[in-house]
Amino acid sequence: MLFRRIYQFLIVYCIGLTCLLAIKKILVLSDYVIPGIPLILDTFGQVFRGYFFDVLNTLSVTILGQIISIIMAFAVGILGRKSSWAGSFVKVMAYNIQAYPIVALAPIIFILLGDGFISRLLIASMICYFPLLLSVLGIMASPVKDIEHFYIATGRMRWQLEVKIRAFENLSKLTTVIAGSATLAMAGTIVAEFIAANAGIGYSIRIALYQSDLARILAALFMIGIVISVYQGILETLGAQLKTKWSAPKEGELL
Amino acid sequence: MHLECDGLKYTYPGAKAAVIDNLCFTMTAPGFNAVFGPSGVGKTSLAKLLVSRGNRQESCISTFDIDTILYSYNQERLPNWSSIGSHLNKICPIGKETLKKELIEIFKLKPLLAARFSQLSMGQQNRVNLIRYLLQEFDLLILDESLANVDEALRETIILAIKTLFPGKMFLYISHNLMEVAKFCREILILGESTKQRKNFMVRGRDYTQGYTLDKKAFDATMLEIMNAF
Repeated sequence: MLFRRIYQFLIVYCIGLTCLLAIKKILVLSDYVIPGIPLILDTFGQVFRGYFFDVLNTLSVTILGQIISIIMAFAVGILGRKSSWAGSFVKVMAYNIQAYPIVALAPIIFILLGDGFISRLLIASMICYFPLLLSVLGIMASPVKDIEHFYIATGRMRWQLEVKIRAFENLSKLTTVIAGSATLAMAGTIVAEFIAANAGIGYSIRIALYQSDLARILAALFMIGIVISVYQGILETLGAQLKTKWSAPKEGELL
Repeated sequence: MHLECDGLKYTYPGAKAAVIDNLCFTMTAPGFNAVFGPSGVGKTSLAKLLVSRGNRQESCISTFDIDTILYSYNQERLPNWSSIGSHLNKICPIGKETLKKELIEIFKLKPLLAARFSQLSMGQQNRVNLIRYLLQEFDLLILDESLANVDEALRETIILAIKTLFPGKMFLYISHNLMEVAKFCREILILGESTKQRKNFMVRGRDYTQGYTLDKKAFDATMLEIMNAF
Protein backbone atom coordinates (compact mmCIF):
# COMPACT_ATOMS: atom_id res chain seq x y z
CA MET A 1 0.00 0.00 0.00
CA LEU A 2 2.79 2.34 1.01
CA PHE A 3 4.88 1.77 -2.11
CA ARG A 4 1.83 1.83 -4.36
CA ARG A 5 0.98 5.32 -3.05
CA ILE A 6 4.56 6.52 -3.68
CA TYR A 7 4.91 5.20 -7.20
CA GLN A 8 1.43 6.43 -8.09
CA PHE A 9 2.51 9.91 -6.99
CA LEU A 10 5.80 9.62 -8.91
CA ILE A 11 3.90 8.71 -12.08
CA VAL A 12 1.55 11.70 -11.69
CA TYR A 13 4.43 14.03 -10.85
CA CYS A 14 6.49 12.88 -13.86
CA ILE A 15 3.48 13.30 -16.18
CA GLY A 16 2.93 16.83 -14.84
CA LEU A 17 6.60 17.72 -15.20
CA THR A 18 6.71 16.30 -18.73
CA CYS A 19 3.69 18.43 -19.68
CA LEU A 20 5.40 21.53 -18.29
CA LEU A 21 8.59 20.78 -20.21
CA ALA A 22 6.56 20.10 -23.36
CA ILE A 23 4.89 23.53 -23.01
CA LYS A 24 8.31 25.09 -22.48
CA LYS A 25 9.59 23.38 -25.65
CA ILE A 26 6.55 24.15 -27.80
CA LEU A 27 6.27 27.81 -26.75
CA VAL A 28 10.06 28.24 -26.56
CA LEU A 29 9.87 29.65 -23.05
CA SER A 30 12.94 30.78 -21.11
CA ASP A 31 14.26 29.09 -17.96
CA TYR A 32 12.92 32.07 -16.02
CA VAL A 33 9.32 31.04 -16.82
CA ILE A 34 9.68 27.25 -16.82
CA PRO A 35 13.07 25.97 -15.69
CA GLY A 36 14.83 23.20 -17.60
CA ILE A 37 15.76 19.84 -16.13
CA PRO A 38 19.34 20.84 -15.12
CA LEU A 39 18.05 23.88 -13.23
CA ILE A 40 15.30 21.86 -11.54
CA LEU A 41 17.81 19.23 -10.42
CA ASP A 42 20.21 21.90 -9.22
CA THR A 43 17.45 23.61 -7.21
CA PHE A 44 16.36 20.25 -5.79
CA GLY A 45 19.90 19.75 -4.49
CA GLN A 46 19.94 23.20 -2.89
CA VAL A 47 16.56 23.17 -1.18
CA PHE A 48 16.08 19.49 -0.46
CA ARG A 49 17.20 19.57 3.16
CA GLY A 50 15.41 22.81 4.06
CA TYR A 51 12.18 21.84 2.32
CA PHE A 52 12.24 18.39 3.87
CA PHE A 53 12.14 19.89 7.36
CA ASP A 54 9.54 22.42 6.22
CA VAL A 55 7.29 19.58 5.02
CA LEU A 56 7.84 17.74 8.30
CA ASN A 57 6.82 20.88 10.14
CA THR A 58 3.67 21.11 8.02
CA LEU A 59 3.04 17.39 8.47
CA SER A 60 3.24 17.67 12.26
CA VAL A 61 0.53 20.34 12.21
CA THR A 62 -1.45 18.23 9.72
CA ILE A 63 -1.32 15.13 11.93
CA LEU A 64 -2.28 17.04 15.04
CA GLY A 65 -5.09 18.81 13.19
CA GLN A 66 -6.32 15.52 11.78
CA ILE A 67 -6.28 13.83 15.19
CA ILE A 68 -8.32 16.69 16.65
CA SER A 69 -10.82 16.55 13.79
CA ILE A 70 -11.12 12.74 14.04
CA ILE A 71 -11.86 12.97 17.77
CA MET A 72 -14.36 15.77 17.20
CA ALA A 73 -15.99 14.04 14.25
CA PHE A 74 -16.46 10.82 16.22
CA ALA A 75 -17.75 12.67 19.29
CA VAL A 76 -20.28 14.68 17.29
CA GLY A 77 -21.05 11.77 14.96
CA ILE A 78 -21.87 9.52 17.92
CA LEU A 79 -24.01 12.25 19.50
CA GLY A 80 -25.78 12.95 16.22
CA ARG A 81 -26.45 9.34 15.22
CA LYS A 82 -29.88 9.23 16.88
CA SER A 83 -32.98 10.35 15.07
CA SER A 84 -33.89 12.56 18.04
CA TRP A 85 -34.15 16.35 17.65
CA ALA A 86 -30.58 16.73 18.92
CA GLY A 87 -29.33 14.24 16.33
CA SER A 88 -31.27 15.92 13.55
CA PHE A 89 -29.99 19.32 14.67
CA VAL A 90 -26.36 18.13 14.58
CA LYS A 91 -26.86 16.60 11.12
CA VAL A 92 -28.50 19.69 9.64
CA MET A 93 -25.80 21.91 11.13
CA ALA A 94 -23.03 19.69 9.79
CA TYR A 95 -24.53 19.52 6.28
CA ASN A 96 -24.99 23.28 6.13
CA ILE A 97 -21.62 24.25 7.55
CA GLN A 98 -19.71 21.83 5.34
CA ALA A 99 -21.31 23.46 2.30
CA TYR A 100 -19.44 26.67 3.17
CA PRO A 101 -15.81 26.98 1.96
CA ILE A 102 -13.92 26.92 5.26
CA VAL A 103 -10.76 28.37 3.67
CA ALA A 104 -12.65 31.61 3.22
CA LEU A 105 -12.75 31.91 7.01
CA ALA A 106 -8.94 31.77 7.23
CA PRO A 107 -8.44 35.57 7.25
CA ILE A 108 -10.79 35.91 10.24
CA ILE A 109 -8.78 33.27 12.10
CA PHE A 110 -5.52 35.05 11.33
CA ILE A 111 -6.97 38.41 12.42
CA LEU A 112 -8.20 36.94 15.69
CA LEU A 113 -5.36 34.55 16.49
CA GLY A 114 -2.46 36.01 14.53
CA ASP A 115 0.23 34.12 12.58
CA GLY A 116 1.56 30.91 14.00
CA PHE A 117 0.88 27.42 15.15
CA ILE A 118 -2.67 27.78 16.53
CA SER A 119 -4.03 29.39 13.36
CA ARG A 120 -2.47 26.69 11.16
CA LEU A 121 -3.79 23.96 13.43
CA LEU A 122 -7.29 25.40 13.53
CA ILE A 123 -7.55 25.76 9.75
CA ALA A 124 -6.14 22.25 9.18
CA SER A 125 -8.66 20.80 11.66
CA MET A 126 -11.60 22.73 10.24
CA ILE A 127 -10.89 21.76 6.66
CA CYS A 128 -10.77 18.02 7.30
CA TYR A 129 -13.34 18.00 10.12
CA PHE A 130 -16.55 18.46 8.13
CA PRO A 131 -16.00 15.79 5.44
CA LEU A 132 -14.99 13.42 8.25
CA LEU A 133 -18.04 14.36 10.29
CA LEU A 134 -20.40 13.70 7.38
CA SER A 135 -18.91 10.25 6.82
CA VAL A 136 -18.94 9.38 10.52
CA LEU A 137 -22.52 10.67 10.87
CA GLY A 138 -23.59 8.63 7.84
CA ILE A 139 -22.00 5.48 9.26
CA MET A 140 -23.15 5.95 12.84
CA ALA A 141 -26.71 6.82 11.85
CA SER A 142 -27.15 3.69 9.69
CA PRO A 143 -28.27 0.69 11.75
CA VAL A 144 -26.79 -2.72 10.98
CA LYS A 145 -30.14 -4.41 11.48
CA ASP A 146 -29.00 -8.01 10.95
CA ILE A 147 -26.57 -7.69 13.85
CA GLU A 148 -28.31 -5.19 16.09
CA HIS A 149 -31.71 -6.94 16.11
CA PHE A 150 -30.71 -9.53 18.70
CA TYR A 151 -29.19 -7.02 21.10
CA ILE A 152 -32.19 -4.69 20.83
CA ALA A 153 -34.73 -7.52 21.18
CA THR A 154 -33.01 -8.89 24.28
CA GLY A 155 -32.40 -5.47 25.87
CA ARG A 156 -28.63 -5.77 25.61
CA MET A 157 -28.02 -2.81 23.36
CA ARG A 158 -25.87 -0.05 24.84
CA TRP A 159 -24.57 2.97 22.96
CA GLN A 160 -21.01 1.66 23.18
CA LEU A 161 -22.03 -1.63 21.57
CA GLU A 162 -24.05 0.16 18.91
CA VAL A 163 -21.06 2.36 18.01
CA LYS A 164 -18.74 -0.65 18.03
CA ILE A 165 -20.98 -2.65 15.69
CA ARG A 166 -21.43 0.22 13.24
CA ALA A 167 -17.74 1.16 13.28
CA PHE A 168 -16.67 -2.45 12.84
CA GLU A 169 -19.06 -3.07 9.96
CA ASN A 170 -17.80 0.07 8.20
CA LEU A 171 -14.14 -0.21 9.09
CA SER A 172 -12.99 -0.10 5.44
CA LYS A 173 -15.05 3.04 4.80
CA LEU A 174 -13.76 4.69 7.96
CA THR A 175 -10.10 3.98 7.25
CA THR A 176 -10.50 5.19 3.65
CA VAL A 177 -12.15 8.40 4.84
CA ILE A 178 -9.50 8.98 7.51
CA ALA A 179 -6.67 8.33 5.02
CA GLY A 180 -8.39 10.63 2.50
CA SER A 181 -8.83 13.37 5.07
CA ALA A 182 -5.04 13.50 5.51
CA THR A 183 -4.84 15.24 2.12
CA LEU A 184 -7.48 17.74 3.22
CA ALA A 185 -5.68 18.44 6.49
CA MET A 186 -2.40 18.90 4.59
CA ALA A 187 -4.11 21.21 2.11
CA GLY A 188 -5.61 23.21 5.00
CA THR A 189 -2.23 23.57 6.71
CA ILE A 190 -0.49 24.62 3.49
CA VAL A 191 -3.22 27.15 2.72
CA ALA A 192 -2.87 28.57 6.24
CA GLU A 193 0.92 28.77 5.84
CA PHE A 194 0.54 30.25 2.41
CA ILE A 195 -1.77 33.01 3.67
CA ALA A 196 -0.05 34.20 6.79
CA ALA A 197 2.09 31.71 8.70
CA ASN A 198 5.79 32.03 9.41
CA ALA A 199 6.82 28.39 9.04
CA GLY A 200 6.10 25.26 7.02
CA ILE A 201 6.24 24.34 3.36
CA GLY A 202 3.35 26.68 2.48
CA TYR A 203 5.42 29.58 3.80
CA SER A 204 8.40 28.41 1.66
CA ILE A 205 6.15 28.18 -1.40
CA ARG A 206 4.96 31.74 -0.76
CA ILE A 207 8.58 32.95 -0.72
CA ALA A 208 9.34 31.01 -3.92
CA LEU A 209 6.22 32.49 -5.51
CA TYR A 210 7.30 36.05 -4.69
CA GLN A 211 10.68 35.23 -6.31
CA SER A 212 8.85 33.62 -9.30
CA ASP A 213 11.08 30.58 -8.75
CA LEU A 214 9.15 27.72 -10.37
CA ALA A 215 12.00 25.26 -9.75
CA ARG A 216 11.65 25.75 -5.99
CA ILE A 217 7.88 25.40 -6.23
CA LEU A 218 8.32 22.14 -8.17
CA ALA A 219 10.76 20.92 -5.51
CA ALA A 220 8.27 21.85 -2.78
CA LEU A 221 5.44 20.05 -4.61
CA PHE A 222 7.64 16.98 -4.95
CA MET A 223 8.42 16.96 -1.23
CA ILE A 224 4.77 17.49 -0.29
CA GLY A 225 3.68 14.68 -2.63
CA ILE A 226 6.23 12.20 -1.32
CA VAL A 227 5.56 12.95 2.34
CA ILE A 228 1.75 12.91 2.04
CA SER A 229 1.96 9.65 0.03
CA VAL A 230 4.03 8.07 2.79
CA TYR A 231 1.65 9.38 5.45
CA GLN A 232 -1.45 8.16 3.62
CA GLY A 233 0.21 4.84 2.90
CA ILE A 234 0.97 4.43 6.62
CA LEU A 235 -2.62 5.30 7.53
CA GLU A 236 -4.00 2.79 5.01
CA THR A 237 -1.60 0.10 6.20
CA LEU A 238 -2.59 0.74 9.81
CA GLY A 239 -6.27 0.58 8.81
CA ALA A 240 -5.74 -2.72 7.00
CA GLN A 241 -3.82 -4.14 9.96
CA LEU A 242 -6.51 -3.02 12.38
CA LYS A 243 -9.18 -4.67 10.25
CA THR A 244 -7.17 -7.87 9.99
CA LYS A 245 -6.51 -7.96 13.72
CA TRP A 246 -10.11 -7.18 14.63
CA SER A 247 -11.98 -9.35 12.18
CA ALA A 248 -9.88 -12.06 10.66
CA PRO A 249 -9.63 -15.49 12.22
CA LYS A 250 -6.32 -16.62 13.65
CA GLU A 251 -6.10 -19.52 11.24
CA GLY A 252 -7.14 -20.09 7.65
CA GLU A 253 -8.28 -17.42 5.29
CA LEU A 254 -11.55 -15.67 4.52
CA LEU A 255 -13.10 -16.07 1.10
CA MET B 1 -50.75 -19.50 27.53
CA HIS B 2 -52.88 -17.94 24.85
CA LEU B 3 -52.23 -16.05 21.62
CA GLU B 4 -55.13 -14.62 19.70
CA CYS B 5 -55.59 -12.42 16.66
CA ASP B 6 -59.02 -11.04 16.01
CA GLY B 7 -59.52 -9.21 12.72
CA LEU B 8 -55.88 -8.19 12.35
CA LYS B 9 -55.28 -5.98 9.36
CA TYR B 10 -52.06 -4.41 8.18
CA THR B 11 -51.18 -2.37 5.12
CA TYR B 12 -47.63 -1.22 4.45
CA PRO B 13 -47.28 2.55 4.04
CA GLY B 14 -47.86 3.44 0.40
CA ALA B 15 -49.28 0.01 -0.51
CA LYS B 16 -52.75 -0.25 -2.01
CA ALA B 17 -53.69 -3.65 -0.66
CA ALA B 18 -53.42 -4.94 2.88
CA VAL B 19 -50.75 -7.61 3.35
CA ILE B 20 -52.78 -9.01 6.26
CA ASP B 21 -56.52 -8.62 6.05
CA ASN B 22 -58.93 -9.65 8.78
CA LEU B 23 -56.72 -12.36 10.21
CA CYS B 24 -58.32 -14.37 12.99
CA PHE B 25 -56.71 -17.26 14.82
CA THR B 26 -56.12 -18.61 18.30
CA MET B 27 -53.26 -20.65 19.70
CA THR B 28 -54.14 -21.87 23.12
CA ALA B 29 -51.22 -23.74 24.65
CA PRO B 30 -47.43 -23.87 24.72
CA GLY B 31 -45.84 -25.93 21.98
CA PHE B 32 -44.42 -25.88 18.53
CA ASN B 33 -46.83 -24.09 16.21
CA ALA B 34 -46.34 -22.89 12.67
CA VAL B 35 -47.23 -20.21 10.19
CA PHE B 36 -47.26 -21.63 6.70
CA GLY B 37 -47.98 -20.18 3.29
CA PRO B 38 -46.47 -19.09 0.01
CA SER B 39 -44.03 -16.20 -0.21
CA GLY B 40 -45.51 -12.75 0.18
CA VAL B 41 -48.67 -13.65 2.08
CA GLY B 42 -47.52 -11.82 5.22
CA LYS B 43 -45.83 -14.43 7.41
CA THR B 44 -42.93 -12.17 8.36
CA SER B 45 -45.24 -9.16 8.62
CA LEU B 46 -47.42 -11.11 11.06
CA ALA B 47 -44.33 -12.03 13.09
CA LYS B 48 -43.26 -8.40 13.28
CA LEU B 49 -46.77 -7.33 14.27
CA LEU B 50 -46.79 -9.91 17.05
CA VAL B 51 -43.46 -8.64 18.37
CA SER B 52 -44.59 -5.02 18.30
CA ARG B 53 -48.00 -5.75 19.79
CA GLY B 54 -47.24 -3.59 22.83
CA ASN B 55 -46.55 -0.56 20.69
CA ARG B 56 -49.87 -0.66 18.88
CA GLN B 57 -52.79 1.03 20.53
CA GLU B 58 -55.69 -0.55 18.69
CA SER B 59 -54.16 -3.98 18.80
CA CYS B 60 -56.20 -6.91 17.55
CA ILE B 61 -53.61 -9.18 19.12
CA SER B 62 -54.27 -10.43 22.60
CA THR B 63 -52.00 -12.60 24.69
CA PHE B 64 -52.31 -14.32 28.02
CA ASP B 65 -49.31 -15.55 29.95
CA ILE B 66 -47.04 -14.35 27.13
CA ASP B 67 -44.90 -11.44 28.24
CA THR B 68 -41.72 -11.74 26.21
CA ILE B 69 -41.90 -12.36 22.49
CA LEU B 70 -38.63 -12.78 20.64
CA TYR B 71 -38.25 -12.86 16.87
CA SER B 72 -35.33 -14.57 15.17
CA TYR B 73 -34.75 -14.73 11.44
CA ASN B 74 -32.36 -16.45 9.13
CA GLN B 75 -30.26 -13.54 7.93
CA GLU B 76 -29.11 -12.39 11.32
CA ARG B 77 -25.41 -12.07 11.89
CA LEU B 78 -23.07 -12.04 14.85
CA PRO B 79 -20.31 -9.44 15.02
CA ASN B 80 -17.14 -10.84 13.55
CA TRP B 81 -14.75 -9.36 16.10
CA SER B 82 -14.62 -12.45 18.27
CA SER B 83 -15.26 -16.18 18.05
CA ILE B 84 -18.79 -17.57 18.26
CA GLY B 85 -17.84 -19.36 21.49
CA SER B 86 -16.95 -16.02 23.02
CA HIS B 87 -20.18 -14.46 21.75
CA LEU B 88 -22.26 -17.27 23.21
CA ASN B 89 -20.49 -16.92 26.56
CA LYS B 90 -21.23 -13.21 26.63
CA ILE B 91 -24.94 -13.49 25.91
CA CYS B 92 -25.54 -16.55 28.09
CA PRO B 93 -27.50 -15.51 31.20
CA ILE B 94 -26.20 -16.66 34.57
CA GLY B 95 -27.53 -20.10 35.42
CA LYS B 96 -28.00 -21.21 31.82
CA GLU B 97 -24.47 -22.45 31.19
CA THR B 98 -25.57 -26.11 31.28
CA LEU B 99 -28.35 -25.42 28.79
CA LYS B 100 -25.84 -23.63 26.56
CA LYS B 101 -23.51 -26.64 26.59
CA GLU B 102 -26.40 -28.97 25.86
CA LEU B 103 -27.64 -26.86 22.97
CA ILE B 104 -24.13 -26.62 21.50
CA GLU B 105 -23.93 -30.42 21.57
CA ILE B 106 -27.38 -30.91 20.01
CA PHE B 107 -26.80 -28.25 17.36
CA LYS B 108 -23.40 -29.87 16.55
CA LEU B 109 -21.47 -26.65 16.98
CA LYS B 110 -18.75 -27.77 19.41
CA PRO B 111 -15.97 -28.01 16.80
CA LEU B 112 -16.83 -24.54 15.52
CA LEU B 113 -16.69 -22.54 18.74
CA ALA B 114 -13.29 -21.04 17.95
CA ALA B 115 -14.38 -19.90 14.50
CA ARG B 116 -15.58 -16.43 13.57
CA PHE B 117 -19.13 -16.04 12.32
CA SER B 118 -18.04 -15.23 8.75
CA GLN B 119 -16.18 -18.54 8.57
CA LEU B 120 -19.34 -20.59 9.11
CA SER B 121 -21.65 -21.96 6.45
CA MET B 122 -25.15 -20.48 6.24
CA GLY B 123 -26.67 -23.42 8.08
CA GLN B 124 -24.07 -23.18 10.83
CA GLN B 125 -24.69 -19.45 11.13
CA ASN B 126 -28.41 -20.04 11.56
CA ARG B 127 -27.78 -22.67 14.22
CA VAL B 128 -25.54 -20.34 16.22
CA ASN B 129 -28.10 -17.58 15.96
CA LEU B 130 -30.92 -19.82 17.15
CA ILE B 131 -28.91 -20.91 20.21
CA ARG B 132 -28.55 -17.27 21.19
CA TYR B 133 -32.32 -16.87 21.30
CA LEU B 134 -32.99 -20.16 23.05
CA LEU B 135 -30.72 -19.03 25.88
CA GLN B 136 -32.79 -15.91 26.55
CA GLU B 137 -35.88 -15.51 28.67
CA PHE B 138 -38.93 -15.73 26.41
CA ASP B 139 -42.51 -16.92 26.39
CA LEU B 140 -42.99 -16.96 22.64
CA LEU B 141 -40.14 -17.38 20.19
CA ILE B 142 -40.83 -16.78 16.52
CA LEU B 143 -38.48 -18.71 14.27
CA ASP B 144 -38.64 -17.09 10.84
CA GLU B 145 -36.82 -19.58 8.61
CA SER B 146 -34.36 -19.85 11.48
CA LEU B 147 -33.30 -23.34 10.42
CA ALA B 148 -32.91 -22.56 6.72
CA ASN B 149 -29.88 -24.17 5.08
CA VAL B 150 -29.60 -26.74 7.88
CA ASP B 151 -29.66 -30.33 6.61
CA GLU B 152 -32.92 -32.19 7.09
CA ALA B 153 -31.72 -34.77 9.61
CA LEU B 154 -30.14 -32.19 11.90
CA ARG B 155 -33.16 -29.93 11.55
CA GLU B 156 -35.37 -32.74 12.80
CA THR B 157 -33.01 -33.40 15.72
CA ILE B 158 -33.01 -29.71 16.63
CA ILE B 159 -36.80 -29.30 16.45
CA LEU B 160 -37.39 -32.42 18.56
CA ALA B 161 -34.79 -31.26 21.10
CA ILE B 162 -36.38 -27.82 21.34
CA LYS B 163 -39.76 -29.43 21.98
CA THR B 164 -38.27 -31.55 24.75
CA LEU B 165 -36.16 -28.83 26.36
CA PHE B 166 -38.79 -26.07 26.28
CA PRO B 167 -42.15 -27.72 26.94
CA GLY B 168 -43.60 -24.64 28.62
CA LYS B 169 -42.76 -22.18 25.82
CA MET B 170 -44.64 -21.33 22.69
CA PHE B 171 -42.86 -21.40 19.35
CA LEU B 172 -44.08 -20.01 16.07
CA TYR B 173 -42.17 -21.67 13.27
CA ILE B 174 -42.26 -19.93 9.91
CA SER B 175 -41.15 -22.32 7.23
CA HIS B 176 -41.75 -23.34 3.64
CA ASN B 177 -41.10 -26.99 4.41
CA LEU B 178 -44.50 -28.67 4.24
CA MET B 179 -43.40 -32.07 5.57
CA GLU B 180 -41.59 -30.59 8.54
CA VAL B 181 -44.46 -28.31 9.47
CA ALA B 182 -47.02 -31.11 9.15
CA LYS B 183 -44.87 -33.52 11.13
CA PHE B 184 -43.69 -31.48 14.10
CA CYS B 185 -46.11 -28.62 14.62
CA ARG B 186 -49.23 -28.73 16.72
CA GLU B 187 -51.26 -25.85 15.36
CA ILE B 188 -50.56 -24.62 11.86
CA LEU B 189 -51.81 -21.25 10.70
CA ILE B 190 -52.16 -21.36 6.94
CA LEU B 191 -51.95 -17.95 5.34
CA GLY B 192 -53.47 -17.93 1.87
CA GLU B 193 -53.23 -15.38 -0.86
CA SER B 194 -55.73 -12.56 -0.56
CA THR B 195 -57.21 -13.45 -3.98
CA LYS B 196 -58.25 -16.91 -2.73
CA GLN B 197 -61.65 -17.46 -1.23
CA ARG B 198 -60.26 -19.14 1.88
CA LYS B 199 -57.61 -16.69 3.00
CA ASN B 200 -56.43 -18.17 6.27
CA PHE B 201 -57.32 -21.06 8.54
CA MET B 202 -55.88 -23.42 11.13
CA VAL B 203 -54.81 -27.02 10.57
CA ARG B 204 -53.89 -29.49 13.27
CA GLY B 205 -50.39 -30.88 12.71
CA ARG B 206 -49.07 -34.26 13.84
CA ASP B 207 -46.99 -32.71 16.67
CA TYR B 208 -44.52 -35.60 16.86
CA THR B 209 -42.08 -35.64 19.73
CA GLN B 210 -38.82 -37.53 20.37
CA GLY B 211 -39.05 -41.26 19.65
CA TYR B 212 -42.14 -40.89 17.47
CA THR B 213 -43.51 -43.49 15.07
CA LEU B 214 -44.78 -42.05 11.86
CA ASP B 215 -48.44 -42.68 11.13
CA LYS B 216 -48.15 -42.44 7.37
CA LYS B 217 -51.85 -42.26 6.66
CA ALA B 218 -52.56 -39.50 9.16
CA PHE B 219 -49.44 -37.66 8.11
CA ASP B 220 -50.48 -37.78 4.43
CA ALA B 221 -53.91 -36.51 5.39
CA THR B 222 -52.43 -33.54 7.24
CA MET B 223 -50.17 -32.71 4.32
CA LEU B 224 -53.10 -32.95 1.90
CA GLU B 225 -55.16 -30.66 4.07
CA ILE B 226 -52.41 -28.06 4.00
CA MET B 227 -51.74 -28.45 0.27
CA ASN B 228 -55.42 -28.10 -0.58
CA ALA B 229 -55.26 -24.59 0.77
CA PHE B 230 -53.30 -23.50 -2.31
